[in-house]
This record gives sequence, structure tokens and C-alpha cells, in this order.
Amino acid sequence: MKKPSSPRLSSLWARLKTPAVIVVLLVIWELCVRIFKVKEYILPSPIVALEHLFLPQPDANYSWIVHIRITLMELAVSFVVTSILGIAIAIGLAWNATVKKIVMPAFVFLNSLPIVAIAPLLVLWFGYGLKTNILIAFLVSFFPIVINTTVGLSEIDDDLLDLVKYLNGTKLQIFLKLRIPNSLPYIFTGLKISSTMCVVGAIVGEFVASDRGLGYIIINSQYTMDSPPIFAGLMLVSLFGVALFGIVSALERLCMPWQFRGRNSD
Amino acid sequence: MKNSRSFAAKVLPRLLYIVLAIALWQALIMIFKVKEFVVPSPIAVFKSLFSGELIAENTWGVHIRTTLTEIAVSFFLTAVVGFLLALVICWSRILRGILMPVIAVLNSLPKIALAPLFLIWLGYGFTANVTIAIICAFFPIVLNTTVGLDSVDEDLLDLVRYLNASKLQVFLKIRIPNSLPYVFSGLKVSATMAVVGVIVGEFVASSQGLGFLIKDSQAMMNTPPMFAALFLISGIGLGLFAFIGFLERALMPWNIERTEGKA
Repeated sequence: MKKPSSPRLSSLWARLKTPAVIVVLLVIWELCVRIFKVKEYILPSPIVALEHLFLPQPDANYSWIVHIRITLMELAVSFVVTSILGIAIAIGLAWNATVKKIVMPAFVFLNSLPIVAIAPLLVLWFGYGLKTNILIAFLVSFFPIVINTTVGLSEIDDDLLDLVKYLNGTKLQIFLKLRIPNSLPYIFTGLKISSTMCVVGAIVGEFVASDRGLGYIIINSQYTMDSPPIFAGLMLVSLFGVALFGIVSALERLCMPWQFRGRNSD
Repeated sequence: MKNSRSFAAKVLPRLLYIVLAIALWQALIMIFKVKEFVVPSPIAVFKSLFSGELIAENTWGVHIRTTLTEIAVSFFLTAVVGFLLALVICWSRILRGILMPVIAVLNSLPKIALAPLFLIWLGYGFTANVTIAIICAFFPIVLNTTVGLDSVDEDLLDLVRYLNASKLQVFLKIRIPNSLPYVFSGLKVSATMAVVGVIVGEFVASSQGLGFLIKDSQAMMNTPPMFAALFLISGIGLGLFAFIGFLERALMPWNIERTEGKA
């Protein structure tokens, strides 16, 4: 453990570390491409990739805005549905011990499977397009949030529970005052995992089952060996993933400020 | 033999679960006369697996072997290289300062989106799929192992330093044994990721393997082999889990109680 020179400085560094690393990586990438004269179809420089994004391309038959909007919509809908449904189902499971005993093993089992593999099956059932992609993203991100929340709702200090029962606390009160606040750290861990999975699901969905969206641009540009749009798409997808993660982290701070009191951002 | 009884008590209900689920599935198909291109019956799935017909231009054996090899190679490489890299990161403060932020950034990216890129770089097939799987599975094991190597009781470290232990001894006797639970939970995450990576790789970049078979059968609206392949993939994933669990028990007999409690 190295001692930070001053708390304010180290907090500033903690906040700037990730962007700084990204900038350094981009600069190294640009320099490597220029120095070694890498061919564009193998590895375009980040500047070339960004040009594809911001400057109109005469030979491009797609408009970024349309595809960005589709992917963003898929991410937003699937993540909101996953979060709400996942937490609601977890509360249901924690409420009824019998149901939990039957359903939880199935959920844990399903969570250990590579769910994304069923994407082609969903295409067969529901056809190409937005709805199928949302469904894939939903299925891929659903189990982490349910399992984490259920665990969080169940892991309560027994003494505390006894005390509240002794004070005639109702089941509803126990949930509202004890179980749900206690589960918040688990919920947010689950949401963070789910946010990453959601992006994976949406993109793989677009690989196999779409004619729109950034995943589609990536896979379609691969057919024509047109690398710059692939990289531009990857940058955007990464940005969306980081943004979603950031939103969850911000909510986390908002919902449980006591967890972050007196701690530097990490 | 408390151990074997608890094993049976754990496995039997699960088996019962699976048998019941299959029976229910067959019954529902027969009662509601579901069309095969929507959901095939378990019997149709079994038939397609053992019919001996070529599927997606190859036999089941070829597809299974391809996927199994890809998963085995990528998981093995990921585990070994990931563990070694974590050791290096913990060993050298300079390398940690350089590598950790980069790894943290890369870990947060949706790496699976890189799949088409590896297709351009490495062409169709085995190498591209293994690489995709490695990229997907690599970071959890590195990060988990690093955390495990780091989270050592400070008092214990002080004690050993006081006894003039070398850095190597601290690693061999304290840090590495201490990291094992973290290593295994990292390996479990990586196992799922490796399977996902291989399958998605086969979706976009292959002419063999179970992922390709699923994709190919989708185009033909041929659902029984899709289901059969999904079960096989799940089976492979679970087999990998069981293998890690076995290693875990073999390498850390002292930790079984705790991990059983966690799972």
C-alpha cells in the first residue's frame, strides 16, 4: 500500500485514472499504426475510425444515427426490464420460502449455462429484429440480478431478525426496513454484472438476428473487410457499456450514500 | 461416510429434476401437439443426436470434437497465462502500475463484440475461435487471482518478514495458498465465458462445431439438432464446472466446508 501524498490529489487521480489509461492506449495504438504502417483493413488508426463516425462517408450505405438509436433502445429497454423484473421476482422468491426452494436451484443452474447460445433459436421463434434482440439481452442479463438480489434479501443478521420479530414487526415491515435496505449492495453488484451482460446480449443478438444496430454494422463490415467502421462500432459499444455501468454506479451512490461516506471513489 | 451421503443427497434431487423436466416437456408437446419447427419433443432431439445423419455437413462427432477442443485449449491457456500474469502483477509494483489500469479498462468492455475482428485477422476456424474465447475468459481469472494474492492478513506478512522470509517464500507459502479460493471462483467465471466465447465465435467465424451447427440448423428451421446442440453445450459447460470443482477439492481440502456453504 503506498501512501497517497494528499487525499484530494489521490481522489483526483482515482477519478481520472480510467480516462487517462484510455487516452494513453489510444495514443499508443495511433503511434503503432503510423510507425509500422499497418494496413487499414488490418488495423485502422483510431483517428481513421473516428473519422468514419463523424465525417460523412460517401461510400457508406448506412447512417450511424439510425444504428446507434437501435442499439441504445435495445440496451435501455432490456436493462430496465431486467432490473425491474429481476428485483421483483427476487422479492417474490425471498417472500415465499417454498417457491424459493423450488425455483432458486433452477435459476442458479440456468445462470451457469451459456445462455447466449440460444440466440438463433429465439430468431427462429420471433423473427429478426428489435424485439428478438431485446429478448436475448434480457435473458442473458436476467439471472445475475435475480440471484444476487435473492441472496441479498436472505442474508440478514439472525439476531436482528429475532429482535424485530420480538417487537412484533410484520413481514412487510421486515422487508421494507430490513431486508430490502440490506440487499442494496447485492442488488447493485447484480445490476453491474447485468449491465455488462446486457451489452453482450444486445450485440450478439445483432450479430445473429438483425439488420440494424451497431452489432449489425460490425458484422456487416467484416464481410467487406471494412475495418474502420468495425472499430468505430466497437468504440461506441464500449462507450455504451461504460455509460450503463456508470449510471448504475451513480444510482448506487444515490441509494446508499452511507456506503461511500469517507471513502474515495474507486 | 457423511461426505458420500451428502453427495448423493445433492445429486439425486437434481437428477430427479432433470428427468421430471424432460417428462413434462414430452407430455406438453404431445398434449398441445406443438409443431416440431417450434419446439421439438425430447424424443425427436434424441433421434437427431443418434440418427447418424450428417448435420451441417459433418457428423455430430466432428462438431462435438471441434467445440470440445476449442473450449479445452482456450480454457487451459486462459487459466495458465491468467494465473501467471496475476503472479507477475503482484510480484512487481512497476508492472502492476502499468498493467492493472489497462486490464481494468479492458475487462469492462464487451469483448465478445471483437469476434468479427478476429475473423478478419485470423480467418475462419479454430484459431479465431480459441482467440475469441481467450479474450472473453482472460480478465476474470487475472483480476480474481490478483485480488486473492493481495488480500493477505497484514499481521501474517509482518510476522513472516520479521522471520526474514524471502519474497519467494512469501509467495509460495502465504500468497498463493491464500489466493486459491479466489483463483477457483475466477476459473468458474472464466469457464462460462470461454464456452460463450467459443460458441459466439462459431456463430460468426466457423464451418464446424456446435455453435455453427446451431446457426446452420436455424437457417433450415431444423429445431431438433439445435436443441440437441444446446444440451450438449450446457453439458460441456457443466462438465467444465465439475472439473474445476474437483480440482478445488483436490487442491484445497481444508476449504471444502466454506465453498459448499457458498454454493
